[in-house]
Amino acid sequence: MAMEITAVAQKLLLQLVSSAFQRCRLSEDLCRLSVLLDQSTATDPPITSISIADTGIGCILEQFQDLRCPRDFNGAKIWDGLLSVKTTCFTDDEVYFYHINLDEYISNKRLKRQPSQSKNGVKFSGTEVSLSVFGSMDVLVAPILGFFQKILVLHIPNVTMDLMVKQGASPGTQTQYFFAVNAEKTPCFTASNLERLKFGLEDYVLRHENCLATMCDHCFSEREHLKVGNGTICHEDKHKRVGGTVEVVIVISDLLETTQHCSRSCDGKTKVLYFDNFSPSPVPHFVLSALKKMDWKSYGLILANVNDQDGHVFLEWENFPSFVQIEIALHWYHNQHATRQKNGPGINLVKKGIKNALDDLKAKHEGFLLSSHARKICSYVPDLARSIAGLIFSSTDLDFQGDCLSVLGFQPQEVEREAVEDCIQRKIVTVIGMNERKPQKDQEAAPFLFFDGNSETSYFEEEEVEGEYYSTSLE
Amino acid sequence: MEGKFSSPEETNLLQRIKEFTRSVVEDLAEGRSPKISINRFRNYCMNPESDCFCSSDKPKGQDILTLKREPQTYRIDMLLRVMLIVQQLLQENRHASKRDIYYMHPSAFKAQSVVDRAIGDICILFQCRRYNLNVVSVGNGLVMGWLKFREAGRKFDCLNSLNTAFPVPVLVEEVEDIVSLAEYILVVEKETVFQRLANDMFCKINRCIVITGRGYPDVSTRRFLRLLIEKLQLPVHCLVDCDPYGFEILATYRFGSMQMAYDIESLRAPDMKWLGAFPSDSEIYDVPKQCLLPLTEEDKKRTEALLLRCYLKRELPQWRLELETMLERGVKFEIEALSVHSLSFLSEVYIPSKIRRELNSP
Repeated sequence: MAMEITAVAQKLLLQLVSSAFQRCRLSEDLCRLSVLLDQSTATDPPITSISIADTGIGCILEQFQDLRCPRDFNGAKIWDGLLSVKTTCFTDDEVYFYHINLDEYISNKRLKRQPSQSKNGVKFSGTEVSLSVFGSMDVLVAPILGFFQKILVLHIPNVTMDLMVKQGASPGTQTQYFFAVNAEKTPCFTASNLERLKFGLEDYVLRHENCLATMCDHCFSEREHLKVGNGTICHEDKHKRVGGTVEVVIVISDLLETTQHCSRSCDGKTKVLYFDNFSPSPVPHFVLSALKKMDWKSYGLILANVNDQDGHVFLEWENFPSFVQIEIALHWYHNQHATRQKNGPGINLVKKGIKNALDDLKAKHEGFLLSSHARKICSYVPDLARSIAGLIFSSTDLDFQGDCLSVLGFQPQEVEREAVEDCIQRKIVTVIGMNERKPQKDQEAAPFLFFDGNSETSYFEEEEVEGEYYSTSLE
Repeated sequence: MEGKFSSPEETNLLQRIKEFTRSVVEDLAEGRSPKISINRFRNYCMNPESDCFCSSDKPKGQDILTLKREPQTYRIDMLLRVMLIVQQLLQENRHASKRDIYYMHPSAFKAQSVVDRAIGDICILFQCRRYNLNVVSVGNGLVMGWLKFREAGRKFDCLNSLNTAFPVPVLVEEVEDIVSLAEYILVVEKETVFQRLANDMFCKINRCIVITGRGYPDVSTRRFLRLLIEKLQLPVHCLVDCDPYGFEILATYRFGSMQMAYDIESLRAPDMKWLGAFPSDSEIYDVPKQCLLPLTEEDKKRTEALLLRCYLKRELPQWRLELETMLERGVKFEIEALSVHSLSFLSEVYIPSKIRRELNSP
């Protein structure tokens, strides 16, 4: 009777992989993280050996304190609870070896030290964690792949990851997956976290959630056609010494028509990725609340639905154009000197971060994410631009023409009317977008000095409409 | 004509248009929203307190147009469209009427009133008159009587044929050499009344000038009347039907219109007297009952609105009284009703006796 490996086992596995990744990230060297899943075909139920090896900084045994032994529905063990851990720090002379029994709650019985191995003077660091579980490894592959695909969004340049899936000894039954940051275009070693998140999310989108090795040709034409906005906001609380940063990146892509031929093309839903201290994490409730409470309307978006399936969050929009896709990534991490507390950033901080990212997008791309009010005003833009260009070009005063054109940034000699009209259009749209972002305080009415403004206006507004009942055409 | 608009420097419209365009382009180039400030004018209000300052021809506030509001953006759009047309007219020394301009882009303008408003905005913006923009009116008025004048070099000798109707000149700014031996000016609402007077050879016996706007008076007619008043310093009497429409016409001659409030001084006849017909005239002159038509609901509403206008309270309580009487009695009648007993009653009895009474009263 084959037993199913439960979600708890998957969770444990991901925790181990995530810890390994953090060890690599914190190292200053190039590191390798390798996961091996080896299913033996000899036994029934099959036994899967799992090995997670990394060349990061050595591990701290406290990391294993909170781990529990996963059990199946009936409470029966799917695993003997034994973790075999080998670890060494750069400065250690030996490789330490432990057996950790996660089933044991009594601390001194949990950890059993095994004989160490000498390093013979060679300087290296790393960790290897091994365990064996009953059950087929099929259900383990997808979460690990998913983890690696997501972690690439963080675009950490010094970690290369791979997953090897084996079923028996022969090479025909082996599959290996590689994951590494595409470092050719991006100066990731010197980039900030936010820049990396930006590049990472762009890649994630262009490669269909990193399932492809390169950009999908059916769906996207050029990386440069993506519209990206990023926002960052820090939370400083000196009393509690909890400092943290929320970074938000939003990528909007215009899909090509050939996207219909792509099997992976999106259905207009927005995926929300969340990272907690450099590790992919299910979207927490406060982020969900922040997403629901965001003022999307002032950016021309109407939120129809927020789908939450076990921490996988999708946003659905109303009246959304069919060939446009939005993806959002949020990353919350503690500042360096913060004590390790479990405080999250809170709804307001997240909302502010998202707002900053949307404002950034709006600022970079004129005419984008305008509220419906601004879009109505934009409908006059072609006409306005045509009239203004007309006033310039139809003037018989060539000095005046040259003057206006140079103010707009054109050389008078090589100028085409259409180009000038386009330029004017873009500038008007920018102004309209900018009007949206400015605070409304300059629209408050000035206080009246002598009498109440309200009573005055009512008499005058009425007459504007009535007034000249019989006239107009003869005026 | 005297006034602030006369000197050529101030009316160098092409220069103004270029400056305006340049400033809009500069604003946009530097990422600023253009702000177009247009003075607001009105010649009356409905404020029951009598402390309004509608009698002054100064602006009463400003509209500042930006791209932040849709109605303002629309107004700017129409203004620019018309300004482009005006620039072309001025450069090519051509003229067009407001109607012509409307027909250049009827689908964009959608209504004549839109064009009218844009033209008004440009006039206020540049502090000029419509004719400075090469926008001309089609004249509708008629004049006859003891008058001679010249318009753009052409001679108009009404004196020579006293009972012939001459058209009121359209380019009033180009009228000169006004000569008159008249004792007063008579303004009549309707063409039918004008023709009646012509038929009865009214001007042969009465030394006067008769003008009609043929209904609601257009700008040229009002301006011509004003010019005559300024040059000839004659008393002006107005004869309208005894109904709200007639009164509105009377008020327009006397106080100007809201639409042209920005140019009020050249368009009103400040001392014009209301000759008739008054509600009380129906008894005095024995108007038969069948000529007294009941006021419709619309008429009553109109009259009530007219009564609210501040200038009636402030300046002409007697007019207000007559209007209230009309409302109370609930009836109206046309001038022609006075002629029911005799065709030439108007020319031979009514008008001369009323004028005599006016001359004798303070």
